[in-house]
Amino acid sequence: MSSSNPYIPIPVEISKIINEVDTNDIKTFRLTFLRKEDEKRFKYLPGQFAELSIYGKGEAPIGIASSPTETGCVEFTVQRAGTIVPGLVTAALHDMETGGKIGLRGPLGHPWPIEFLENKNIVVVGGGFAFTTLRSLINYMLHQDNRSRFGEITVIYGARTPGLLLYKDELAAWEKRDDIKTIITVDKGNETWTGREGFVPAVCKEVAPSPYKAVAVICGPPIMIKFTLPVFFDLGFYKENILTSLEMRMKCGIGKCGRCNVGYKYVCSDGPVFSLAELDELPRDF
Amino acid sequence: MLKKTAINKISELAVQLMQKGTLIAPVQEAAGFNFREISDAKQVNLNFHNTILSPKAAFFPQMEDFVQYQTGQSIMEAVPVELNVKPTFLFGVRPCDVKSFEIMDIHFSGTGVVDPYWRARREATTIFGYAFDLDEPAQAEEFYQTLGIGAADPDGSDIFMIRKGETLLLKGITPKGEKLLTQLSRLADGSANEEEYFRNYISRGRDFKTRYTCVDDKNIAKKLEDIFDNGDFWMKVSDACLSCGVCTFVCPNCYCFDICDETLFGKGTRRRVWDACMFTDFTLEASGHNPRAQVFQRLRQKIKHKYSYHVRKYGVISCVGCGRCTRHCPVNIDIFSIVEEAMTV
Repeated sequence: MSSSNPYIPIPVEISKIINEVDTNDIKTFRLTFLRKEDEKRFKYLPGQFAELSIYGKGEAPIGIASSPTETGCVEFTVQRAGTIVPGLVTAALHDMETGGKIGLRGPLGHPWPIEFLENKNIVVVGGGFAFTTLRSLINYMLHQDNRSRFGEITVIYGARTPGLLLYKDELAAWEKRDDIKTIITVDKGNETWTGREGFVPAVCKEVAPSPYKAVAVICGPPIMIKFTLPVFFDLGFYKENILTSLEMRMKCGIGKCGRCNVGYKYVCSDGPVFSLAELDELPRDF
Repeated sequence: MLKKTAINKISELAVQLMQKGTLIAPVQEAAGFNFREISDAKQVNLNFHNTILSPKAAFFPQMEDFVQYQTGQSIMEAVPVELNVKPTFLFGVRPCDVKSFEIMDIHFSGTGVVDPYWRARREATTIFGYAFDLDEPAQAEEFYQTLGIGAADPDGSDIFMIRKGETLLLKGITPKGEKLLTQLSRLADGSANEEEYFRNYISRGRDFKTRYTCVDDKNIAKKLEDIFDNGDFWMKVSDACLSCGVCTFVCPNCYCFDICDETLFGKGTRRRVWDACMFTDFTLEASGHNPRAQVFQRLRQKIKHKYSYHVRKYGVISCVGCGRCTRHCPVNIDIFSIVEEAMTV
């Protein structure tokens, strides 16, 4: 926790805004700390999240998209929410410009279990907009100080269309590297798309990563998760070695407000990262 | 150390406590009794069975201001609301409600991130527990004894009080309570006979029956887990539920809250307010998806949270059998009957 009172956000400034997709509703916000001491205290690992806070609008829990190896700032990729329910915070954020100041509360939740991932082959599977904390993990593992701690890294990432792929520059850079296998797919390409077409579960089946000393880290829309998990079962992955991250409506982010439980676990403070073995112990419904 | 005062001199004790800090005690209001901060010592009234609202608001007020801000101003200008906690005396709390504080302690200050508001108030407060009247039968809604809480259980109180006719006996339970008793000059010393009466009363309280037979908490937790998917059962028991949330508001152990920004004419406050898992929008996500859109899902959540999830997570049932939820339910849903019925499914 980076503030002595866990409910009071620290001030940050938007130092860069990147429009990620051609539908203009997903942007990455780079935030820099306005107080040096906050920057020192904001220690996080990939997989954690934070509450983005705008007084007068509210707070929204968003996964941290940057890697802790990038110092001096922290990044969040935010979709403008609210076609059905008004997404006050994300809408206000999308309307802000560089130099705008907002609040930040975190880091919150448990990260991807880095020590557990060490010396293993890592298969990262992402779908659509849920790729943000996976990007954090990938950049963390690829950092020169960390790369030797992990085995082979395979990334399978899909989006509905080429225009909806996040972090396009980074994807291109990863594709050029030989210490990471990057497989990008889209549900449906366009006239300029020369890459792969196909749904993520089918691509996983085709790529068929070996379960030997491997952990699969999977994030995506529920429909993708539903069809991807059986693929990894069939490949021979144990449930302990399949990790995912849950989402639920949250307020406090620290396991106090009683909102985000699945069974006896709070997604915010007991998760959001869970292994499939852990999820199997929880009710199938909410 | 046993002390005593005449019931009709309670206001003199109240005056002394008010000189030392904030006094929160039962007062009679139009709809019944409630705990209120006392401004006039004569308001303190111990002629009650139990209060409408639980005393949890002494530590977890319905509204807690976090920050004040102005629209258009930078976040740097926002001002956190200082928590000025004075020594507080929470007077006349029934044993089951005292127990609820210990259960809430596990959640708010015993595990994970410590809630600074709960903790500060808890530390600043001296609790005067107050035994139920054993000559008056338990009310039909109550089942604290089922959950192992005696009608005259001094556990968790700093000072415990028992009424003997027109006399109020007060005994220090914790060092904090003992110390305070020595400072209250309005109190007289209790006699040896009264000491014995006090001891006997506590053991009589253990045998004081509320209406249900005891059920093992681990069994309840497990059984409720097993019948999670029994939609017919949950639909049946929630059939009458209006989702009004009154059960959660009167509950001493419900802790769910919302954090919201309230802005008026450019000035705003971020605060937390009590919320309820019984409300439709409690889990409504910005995507439009609501994992608990139906009433039966929400009642199931409420019951399972108290008797199953809380046991799994913290090792204790999140209910003290005070009976307020049943007493105030507009459609007579009785939570413990549902638990009992669940055990037979």
